[in-house]
Amino acid sequence: MASTISAGTTSGTAIAISGDTSGNLAFQTQAGANTITVPNATGTVMVSGNMPAFSYYLSSTQSITTSTTTKILFDTKTFDTNNNFSSNRFTPTVAGYYQINMNVIGSSSSYSSIQIYQIYKNGNPYVRSDWRYQSAIIDTGSGNMSAIIYFNGSTDYVEGYAYIVGTSPTISSSLTTQFSGCLVRAS
Amino acid sequence: MTLYEKIMALYPSLTQKDFLTVIELRNDSDGKGDYIAKWEHPTLARPTAEQLA
Repeated sequence: MASTISAGTTSGTAIAISGDTSGNLAFQTQAGANTITVPNATGTVMVSGNMPAFSYYLSSTQSITTSTTTKILFDTKTFDTNNNFSSNRFTPTVAGYYQINMNVIGSSSSYSSIQIYQIYKNGNPYVRSDWRYQSAIIDTGSGNMSAIIYFNGSTDYVEGYAYIVGTSPTISSSLTTQFSGCLVRAS
Repeated sequence: MTLYEKIMALYPSLTQKDFLTVIELRNDSDGKGDYIAKWEHPTLARPTAEQLA
C-alpha cells in the first residue's frame, strides 16, 4: 500500500502522514541539504510513549551486613512509563541504549572505611563508585554513577548494589538513594 | 552471627582487601540471606556448609 498524506477539513484537525505497510516513515531532504528540523519554529515534538523511562527510590533505611555486596531495595516508584521495573530490577522491553543513573548514601554507626556502589548488568558489575576514607570520625559516604548501557530489549537488566565496611551499615532512604534511567537511542 | 563473621572466625587472617579481590559475599535482598558469590583465595579453602552452619 502506498503512503498517504491526509488533512482534516476543519480548523485544528491534524495532518496525518501514514507510512507504507512496512510501518516505516522516511523524511527525505533535498540533495545537499541533510537537515530536517521538526518543528521548524517553536513547538514540541512528541516522541512515542514506548520509550521506557523510570525512577525509583529507597523508601526507608536499609540495613546491610558489613563487607557484603547487597542489592539495594528500590521499592518506591516515582514513575515507570513502560512498567519495566520490577523486584528492584530494570528490564526494558525496547532494545537500545539507555542512560542509567544511581545515587546512594551509606552510613555506619562507627566509622566507614570503604563504601562501594555499583550498577550491575545481568548479575555482573558494570559501573562502580568507590569511596574510601581513613579516619575514625567519618561514618557517611556516597556514590553517584551514570552510564550509557545497551539493553537487548528482552533479557538484559540492571540492578544496584552496595558494599560498606563498618559497624551496622545502612543505606539512607528517599532523596539520597535513587535509581533512574531512560532510552536515549533505539538499537 | 553473620556470614562475614563466621568466615572471619574460621580465617582470622583474612583482610578487607581479600573481601574486595578474591572473596565476594553477596545478598540479593530476596530473603535468602548472605552467600559466597566468589571464593578465589589462593591458599584458604572455601568454607563448607558444615563449617558455616
